[in-house]
Parts: sequence; C-alpha cells; structure tokens
Amino acid sequence: MSAARDIVAGALCCIGTFFFLVGTTGLLRMPDVFTRLHPSTKCDTLGACSVIVGMAVYSGWSWELCKLVVIACFLLLSSATCGHAIGRSALRRNIPYWRRQGKETGDGNGA
Amino acid sequence: MDNFLTVIAIIIGLNAAICLYRAVVGPTTQDRLLGVNIVGTKTLVVVVLVTFILAENFFLDVAFVYALLLFVVTVAVARYLEAEGWKEAA
Amino acid sequence: MATGNGVRRKLLLLIVLFAFWMVFTASLAWHELVLGAVSCALVAAMTVSLLGRALDPRITPAVLLRLPVFMLRLTWEIIKANYDVAKIILNPKLPIDPRIVEYRTYLPDDLPRTVFSDSITLTPGTVTVELEGNRLNVHCLCPYHEEGLAGLEKMVAWLFGIRKEGEVTADG
Repeated sequence: MSAARDIVAGALCCIGTFFFLVGTTGLLRMPDVFTRLHPSTKCDTLGACSVIVGMAVYSGWSWELCKLVVIACFLLLSSATCGHAIGRSALRRNIPYWRRQGKETGDGNGA
Repeated sequence: MDNFLTVIAIIIGLNAAICLYRAVVGPTTQDRLLGVNIVGTKTLVVVVLVTFILAENFFLDVAFVYALLLFVVTVAVARYLEAEGWKEAA
Repeated sequence: MATGNGVRRKLLLLIVLFAFWMVFTASLAWHELVLGAVSCALVAAMTVSLLGRALDPRITPAVLLRLPVFMLRLTWEIIKANYDVAKIILNPKLPIDPRIVEYRTYLPDDLPRTVFSDSITLTPGTVTVELEGNRLNVHCLCPYHEEGLAGLEKMVAWLFGIRKEGEVTADG
C-alpha cells in the first residue's frame, strides 16, 4: 500500500517537473509579454498543482492533506488572477503584441 | 523517497534560476514582473517539497504565507504599473 | 429583514473563518477550538462589512454541490490545454499566430464573469487580458483556440444555473 502511494506521488512529481521545464522553455522562447503569459499561467500552474497533489498523496490522511489542498486551490485562483493583472497592465500601457510576419495587420477581429 | 524528493527540488530550483534570466533581461517591466511571479511559484513548490524532505510540518504554513504574499505583490505591482501608464497617456 | 440578513451573513462568515482556523491550526485540542471560535466570532463581527462581500448571494448550496463536478471537468480541460501548449512550445518551429479577440459574454454579475475569465486563463491557449462589463479581451495563442470559449461559457453557466437569454427552456 505504502509503496503504491510512493509510486503515484513520484509519478505526479515527475509530471509536475516536466511541466515546470516546459514553462521555463516557453518563458525563454516566446516573443512577447502576452505569449509569455501562456506558459506561465498554464504550465506553471499545472506543474505546481501536480507536485502539490503528489505530496498530498505522499502524506496520506492527515492535516497536511487539508493544507496542501487549500494551497493548491489558492494557487489555481491566484495564478490566473496574476496573469490577468499582468496582461491588463501590458494592454493598458499599449505594449504592442507580437504577430506572425507577413500577415496583414487589419485582421478584422483584432483589438 | 527522500533522495528522490531532493533531486526534484534541486531540478525545480535550477529551473527557477533559469527563469531569473527573464526577470533580469526582460525588455518590458511586465516581463520582469512575470519572471518574478514564476520564480515565486517555483520557490513555493520547493518549500512544499522541503516540508516533506525535512519532515517539519510548519514549513507548510510558510508555503501558504508565501503564496499569499506572492499574489498580493504581483497584483499590487501590476496595478501600479497600470496607473502609471494612464498618467503617461493623458 | 435587514438585521436578520446581517446575522446570517455573520454566521456564514464565522463558519468559513472557523474552517480556515481548523485547517491551519491542525489540532483538535479544546483550548485551540475555544480560542478559534472566540477570535473568529470577533473578526466576523468586525469585518462583515468588508469580507461580507465575498459571500455572494449566487453561492447557493446547489452551486456548492455542483462545484466538485465543475472542478473535475475544469481539471480535465486544464490537462488537455497543457498538453496542447506543451506541444506548441516544444515544437522547434513555434507555430503560433497570436491575436487579441473581443468576446461578449451573456453571464450576468461579477462572480460568474470572474469564474469565467479565470477558467479562460487556465484553459485552451487563451488568456483574459481585460474584463469590462460583459466584454472580455482574450489573447489567443492560435486562432483555433478561440473555439473553446463557448463551451467553457456553457460550463460556467451550468455551474451557476444560468440560462441564456432568449433560449427556449425544455420545461417551459
């Protein structure tokens, strides 16, 4: 039983680390602020949440489980809100967003 | 299991160090803020891992306060930058 | 009626605060519980005008019952979105064609709209960069990501039991 729990926790940690790596790669590769928001809000959140859930599995039934669940839920809410706040400040300061070269700018549904 | 968790924590820590590049170089202030936010998230996860490596439960409270502070700091700085932008535009 | 409503809000706030106290003290010793109850009651009485706003009237028991199902569906969406974004990021050609799209939502009130914009940020290649009234500015990584928004809106509407205006309902 304990061994199975360790394996599940380890697998979740590995998945989380993988998504952290993807998030870091995205943060370094993407061309502008708005596109950088994508890896930071998605990959990092899932990475953090899956490591935390893995630790929750590892700790078993205890008070730590409650705390970890609260932290994970808070992280889901807060990282989305942080991404929204950063994106809005970039939009309000009129930072131009990156577009693929060779495309007309008047694309109809752009802002 | 402890060694495994230590390795994971070290990998995530190195990741955070690489993310510092964006916080230092980032062409706009928003990029830097985003870099700081990501480094913070990774540090939070490292703190959670340290809780289980050292088997010290109070680190979880540290992690929660860290998450709260990270959220408040990011939103406050983002709002501040926004207000500055409005003044510039007027 | 107004005072009854105030007492109800205070009690609800007290329950929420006490649940947090329980989680973070992590003990069932009687002195901890008494101290928690007293301090939570004091805080609830003093800050109901500030924190009471968090107790939105839209949070009904039915919504709380549907919340776990919603969370599970959202988690599945998040995993799919992450797979998608990871594929794009790890592709050496970086096949992105970002654009900012304006989306008008039919969801009323702040809370459903906030839940909707947070869900957008966490799912398929889209980040809400501005929310004003019923107008959302959404930054999409690829044009096809825009198509996921309507389904997500439907999910949030289901969570809060909201029907689209003008939609014919089955039960008359």
